[in-house]
Amino acid sequence: MFLALKEIQHEKLRYGLITLMFILISYLIMILMGMMLGLAHENTAAIDSWGTQTVFLSKNSNDSLSQSLISQEKRPNYRPDHMATIGVAPAVAKQGKDKENVQFVGLNRNEFIFRDKLQLTAGRKAQNNREVVTDQSLKNKGFKIGDQLRLNSQGPKLKIVGFVKNAQLSVAPVVYGSLTSWRQLRSVQPNIVGSALISDQAMSTATAPKLQHYTVKQFVNKLPGYSAQNTTFTFMIGFLMIISLVIIAVFLYILTIQKLPHFAVLRAQGIPAKNLISSTIYQSLLLVAVGAAGGILLTLLTKQVLPEGLPMEINWLAIAGLSLALLVLGIIGALLPVRVIAKIDPVAALNQ
Amino acid sequence: MDDAMIIKDVNKSYGHGVGRVHVLKDVSFSAALGELNLVLGPSGSGKSTFLTIAGGLQTPDTGQVIIDGQDINKLSHQQKEHLRLDKIGFVLQSYNLLPYLTVQDQFKLVDRVKKAGNLSAGQLDQLLEQLEIKKLVNQYPSELSGGQNQRVAIARALYTDPQVVLADEPTASLDSNLVKVVGQLFQDLAKQNNKAVVVVTHDLRLKQFADRIWDLSDGKLTQE
Repeated sequence: MFLALKEIQHEKLRYGLITLMFILISYLIMILMGMMLGLAHENTAAIDSWGTQTVFLSKNSNDSLSQSLISQEKRPNYRPDHMATIGVAPAVAKQGKDKENVQFVGLNRNEFIFRDKLQLTAGRKAQNNREVVTDQSLKNKGFKIGDQLRLNSQGPKLKIVGFVKNAQLSVAPVVYGSLTSWRQLRSVQPNIVGSALISDQAMSTATAPKLQHYTVKQFVNKLPGYSAQNTTFTFMIGFLMIISLVIIAVFLYILTIQKLPHFAVLRAQGIPAKNLISSTIYQSLLLVAVGAAGGILLTLLTKQVLPEGLPMEINWLAIAGLSLALLVLGIIGALLPVRVIAKIDPVAALNQ
Repeated sequence: MDDAMIIKDVNKSYGHGVGRVHVLKDVSFSAALGELNLVLGPSGSGKSTFLTIAGGLQTPDTGQVIIDGQDINKLSHQQKEHLRLDKIGFVLQSYNLLPYLTVQDQFKLVDRVKKAGNLSAGQLDQLLEQLEIKKLVNQYPSELSGGQNQRVAIARALYTDPQVVLADEPTASLDSNLVKVVGQLFQDLAKQNNKAVVVVTHDLRLKQFADRIWDLSDGKLTQE
């Protein structure tokens, strides 16, 4: 530790540049992770906010929420405290010259999602079929409480009475209205009651035998593009981690090789190899730890300055996991030259 | 005088078959406490091999190297490391100083590896004063002259209070004035600090400081 710190202290420029490189590597990985989580969040924020555990769709919906239509006959009786019918339809919300692609979600006012799960940030909940609350991102785009929204060109005209947070579905802001408005929007048959049944409890297929049963994980993975997008990001981050390992290992290896003449002298003087190895590993860990900390700091700063529309999510568990992974990469990188240190021939010190 | 180091009938060869080179041939040597031994020889005469075998860095093909009553060839790898740390002080051509440690940190490094038996703070002060480098303790090796570096390297070698000091071409890059300073230093080291000092060199200017002079040529060591 003594040797490691003294060397860093003396070789400030060299170790500063190496640390900067490690910071940039961890920053790149963390920012990508943040964007992946941000996009994932925008796909599922509403579903997460409902505390969803189980989803039922119609059997011929081909796993698509927007294509699912549940009829009165197929819907089982249920307790509205833990299950709710929702009607989902993509729509274009227009207010004056403003247009926005939204997901309209129709709710029953006596069921748990409407009663307990809407997280109001301004205004109040809807009190009739002509009122809606919307995701607060619309507020940031110029929509106000009291505005009249027209959904699609022929759809109903609805008044915004409140804004809620965590109301996004398939990367679009949600407009929460009534199931009556949804029926109007979708122009469905009178016996159609909604698109899906949502429960905040784990339920079995037997709960609604005429409908298709999904756990929340299965359902989310079936959301259009969600799985492909996450897999792409995961592979990008995975490859980046592998490339980072190679870069970190190569740098640490070169650093160690440059120190071999000094190590040879120390070995000739009787300094045990284990001291030199532990010093090398400690130094590597320190550099990677500072790199990870710097990466976290830059990621947090970036989150502050990113424009509103760019999705980015800070998840401390994921950041802790990534930092740990970087430290493990650092240890692996530091362990590669250990054999070289252990095999140093102290006789080399006399030939310098 | 007591022999701190005895080398008996040491042979060392490199290579195989027709390429085999017999570097040391039945070499015997002894160095006593309080004595400066000078091993002279031209380049390629086997001086470095002699020094590495004497310091336990290499094992001879045959023969014995006895330091402090122990045949070091019978010691394990770790025991040899301990012996080098405790009983032998190396002064190398490259001054054996780490460039990123100040003079005082060079000693602190030893303290971290060898917890006991090093010079006390008072003894170190005295040694630094004797070597006229006490004012340089906060300097890095790159900030010192060749002669100052050489004296720091000597202090570093003596800090573990070794019985034997082995020096490899200590005057290789020094001018005549500094050769005298370094030669005197090694002589004082042997006499005042009661060490067995072995200097391997081809620099004849050091002869005037030596108690015994050895000649190594064609692998054979003879005392003048």
